[in-house]
Amino acid sequence: MKHKSKTLIAALLMLCGTFAINSVALAHEADCPYCKLKLVQNTKEEDNEVVVKFGNKRIEYRCIYCVVADQAKLKGDLVVYAPSEKAGSPIVLKRTDGKWTAPEGTLFLNTFKRHKTCAAESRAFTSRASFDKYVKAKGIEGAKALTLAEFLAEVAKKK
Amino acid sequence: MKITILALTFAALMVAHGTALAQEHQGHKPNMTMATELPKPPDKFPAWMSNRTADHLFYKPASYNWEILRVRRFAQDMFATGVGHARAYEALATGQAPQLETRIYEEIVRVLKNPPSIPIDEQALAPTFLRKYGSLEKVFDWAHILHFQTIDVLSKPNWTDAQKEAEIEKLWQFYSAQPYAITGLPMNMAYLDGFSYSATFRKNYPKVNGLFWGYHWLQTVNYDMLYRTPVETHAAQYEVLGARYIEEELFKTDRDFMPMTAETSPRFAKRFPQIANAFDNLHMLHDNVNDILSDSRLTEQQRKEQVNIAIWRVLASTHQGEESGTGEPNTLHDHRHPMGMPGMGMMKGSDEELMFMSGMGWMNMTECAHCSISLPESGPWGATVTANGWTMTVRCMLCARDMASETIGRAIIRGATEDPNKTIVLISDEEGNWKTNFPNAVFLEVMADHPECSGWSRVFTSKAAFDAYVKENPEYKDAEPLTLSAWAQKNGGKPETYRRVDKPNPYRSDPPPASDEQGGAQ
Repeated sequence: MKHKSKTLIAALLMLCGTFAINSVALAHEADCPYCKLKLVQNTKEEDNEVVVKFGNKRIEYRCIYCVVADQAKLKGDLVVYAPSEKAGSPIVLKRTDGKWTAPEGTLFLNTFKRHKTCAAESRAFTSRASFDKYVKAKGIEGAKALTLAEFLAEVAKKK
Repeated sequence: MKITILALTFAALMVAHGTALAQEHQGHKPNMTMATELPKPPDKFPAWMSNRTADHLFYKPASYNWEILRVRRFAQDMFATGVGHARAYEALATGQAPQLETRIYEEIVRVLKNPPSIPIDEQALAPTFLRKYGSLEKVFDWAHILHFQTIDVLSKPNWTDAQKEAEIEKLWQFYSAQPYAITGLPMNMAYLDGFSYSATFRKNYPKVNGLFWGYHWLQTVNYDMLYRTPVETHAAQYEVLGARYIEEELFKTDRDFMPMTAETSPRFAKRFPQIANAFDNLHMLHDNVNDILSDSRLTEQQRKEQVNIAIWRVLASTHQGEESGTGEPNTLHDHRHPMGMPGMGMMKGSDEELMFMSGMGWMNMTECAHCSISLPESGPWGATVTANGWTMTVRCMLCARDMASETIGRAIIRGATEDPNKTIVLISDEEGNWKTNFPNAVFLEVMADHPECSGWSRVFTSKAAFDAYVKENPEYKDAEPLTLSAWAQKNGGKPETYRRVDKPNPYRSDPPPASDEQGGAQ
């Protein structure tokens, strides 16, 4: 009986410990400065955090649409680390003297209708093949692969 | 038959609203959802409230009076808030409410953007309001004098921080000695904002209400700008805050609640909780009065009575003998406060550990806003960060810098140095490039665990002070003294100790629709 009690207490302590660990966030879970929804954290399989660096600032957004839509607030030259199809290998977008550039061949997805899905549906890809693979895996309908210029135009139009 | 039932229901509702004046006694515990009945007057109002003479009180004579003018634009912006208040009140008192959001709003904004160089006599701008609500004006005026004189003391050059703090204590006594004084006890804001008329003004006149809450932001954010910071930094700090005020804070219509002193000036609120509470109670009185005067369901007589009740609720005399930190929850005499912050009453949905801060989410005021580790009880208090309209307390200089670098726009850090009488003030531009009042400042940053961050991340006014600290703390003997520019480029990443409190916004039952649509966030 005594042994059973100890086992029960140990199990409860483990349960409490698990809860405590889960309740402590491992990263800042702030809200997106643009859409005000929660930032989506990176996972082992997939990057989601969009990081914008300029000067000594480092601002996180929910998606690349939010960055471009909010860009008037961001002063100076920008470096944007946009999640790609591969975790840990972001695509680096730059705004230099107001002009945006991206690595050659970069394609953009921007199909979301509501911001609750913007992190999944406003992303960058290194190739057409990776774009198609992502869209198929996520079951995103009507997705169109956009060039940087088309993506920027789309943001400007929708904003 | 259907028509009869509808008519009876309608009549019953009208009777319930219009005539049920009787239910709420002082100390009576109301339902914390919105009350449906009007508050009942006390057995007796203080005698002075029926005295129709002017009884005008003026400043405590002192050498520091009008030192506010040292930062001229700040003084002008403060003077203009009086015009904004008075113009809106006169409109409400003279049947011009339908023009509040249009013509009168434009008039007020014109003044706010071209503020007067001298204080304006609010009574001259609002004669009808004064005639109808003279006792209210006495309470407002007296508290506004406390606002201004506190600023004057903190703006005085060549006084030590200790002298200023002692004088502010005297000012509080001077203020409290008068019958018009508002209580310095924390009051339950959810209770005070839970009457049948509450929120009427902000719903019907969101732009003018935004101005009022913008004034209250300015009137509270300035205290941490001034408190224990060198007077030479005040103009540079106000350059950041004033721009924020005139470009953003005045025109916000999406605040959940009025700005609280402890949210915008936490250091001052902690040091002078009575004054912070009096200002919050004053600002809540403004909200109550706005709501009462704009509630079209009330008769003129009901308005007068409800304004008097609202005054009585916050008077120091109503709470005589009561103590901070005690009181029955959710009543008029609920003087509890969040842990670690005696300068703020309980807020909607808050408990003693957590409170919801509009724009920042749920906060624990005993913890660092960046790393979630408890703030030190004594010794150096770390720093505060002012950015994006909020001011947060953090444990160390790393937490301050990284928090500012993760926030869009200019920022101000006010940090403890090795000398309690020398607060460093750092001001950044929009790209996070910092300037400081101590050009020879040296930083220590030896990244380790955050529970000890107030030890390994610090700032010193000189290399000699840095060396003295390292000598006393040999674990940092290999630390490199960092210049401001070297320190500014560092980033400690996301603290593993950070804990986000994930609870819904108590002020909004539904998510904001606009931000959820593509392109609809701004």
